[in-house]
Amino acid sequence: MNGIHDLGGMHGHGPINPPPVEPVFKHDWERRIFALFIGAFGGGHYNVDEFRHAIERMDPAHYLLGSYYEHWLHAIETLLLEKGVVTREELDRTMATLKGGH
Amino acid sequence: MPVVTKELVPLLVQTGASARVAEEIPARFLPGDTVLARNVNPANHTRLPRYVRGKVGTIVMDHGVFVTPDTAAHGLGEHPQHVYCVRFTAAELWGGDASPRDTVNIDLWDDYLQPS
Amino acid sequence: MSHDHDHTDPPADIELRVKALESVLAEKGLIDTGALDELIDIYENKIGPRNGARVVAKAWTDPDYKQRLLSDATAAIKELGFSGVQGEDMVVVENTPDVHNMIVCTLCSCYPWPTLGLPPAWFKSAPYRSRVVIDPRGVLKEFGISLSDEKEVRVWDSSAELRYLVLPERPAGTDGWHEDRLVDLVTRDSMIGVGFPKSSADLHQQAGA
Repeated sequence: MNGIHDLGGMHGHGPINPPPVEPVFKHDWERRIFALFIGAFGGGHYNVDEFRHAIERMDPAHYLLGSYYEHWLHAIETLLLEKGVVTREELDRTMATLKGGH
Repeated sequence: MPVVTKELVPLLVQTGASARVAEEIPARFLPGDTVLARNVNPANHTRLPRYVRGKVGTIVMDHGVFVTPDTAAHGLGEHPQHVYCVRFTAAELWGGDASPRDTVNIDLWDDYLQPS
Repeated sequence: MSHDHDHTDPPADIELRVKALESVLAEKGLIDTGALDELIDIYENKIGPRNGARVVAKAWTDPDYKQRLLSDATAAIKELGFSGVQGEDMVVVENTPDVHNMIVCTLCSCYPWPTLGLPPAWFKSAPYRSRVVIDPRGVLKEFGISLSDEKEVRVWDSSAELRYLVLPERPAGTDGWHEDRLVDLVTRDSMIGVGFPKSSADLHQQAGA
């Protein structure tokens, strides 16, 4: 698809500004979603092509604004919902419970 | 469905999941061949980026036979085929202002290419 | 002025969404939380560019190994114990006085995990991915590198399942150095192609600092 992910040759995305050092993960949730990706992939719930395509199907503005691991979260949620591995209700209910527990 | 347990993790990490397919499929192109990256605009998943479509390059490596993402992303099977590294000059991709020496080398599936 | 490579702070509920997803999958018995902890430990603490540096240093000191590395990178890298996820099929490209190689993945962020670890944020960002193929020399300038017009810049866009690693040129003034000492000269950026290895003088400076 002619998606927003197909970035090669575009102008206007600004400077790269590589920092001299950076941590492997910036937030704890990044650790969890990284590991969840491998765990669910290893469990056979999606292949890498489905995963990449789920990222490409993101809303273009969200794609550009969202961080890398946010793309991953979006893709894993999308695929597991589409395949019926989890339901929206299960995720919402659990989020509500976790929120209440804070 | 298998569950990845803690005990399985080291083996999984060290083995991975190669997309290479052990199937004898004849290669349509040889290193040195001139090829055209097809000018197509599929709405499905593809790994043929827009910047090489309709451009002419040269096969520099035949990587062997791999799963095709265009079908695998949509539950349509592995459709194994050769993947080649294709070299495009910067001038072919970006026009006359590009550095005359520079090249972009990109891995493309057999279906993405036609003889030129 | 600073420019955040991740563009924005994540939305406030992202942490909750990740927790909910993990918790639902764990309840269903589809993931093992201990396995996730183990994966995080491996990729955060055990796998990193030091692995790739070992490959490079060996290639600098052992011509037979270098030959194997350039003809069958996957097997040669596995000889040193590095293999697996996102390095299942490897290609190593050699810098020479005439050619400078750079790696990118314009369509996503493919990167050779077993030899370099997980990619830095800039490698995954739109600025790097968009520009490397159209303006590699401009990108190199941002990394403080200016190359002669005589040199060919060869960009490798890893759009398929091959993962690429650059074999940088061995720094001058390191004749007779043992492999273990050379390892300290090999930087992550030099194996992506946006940097050079440290010089022997850099090492002395570091030691003296």
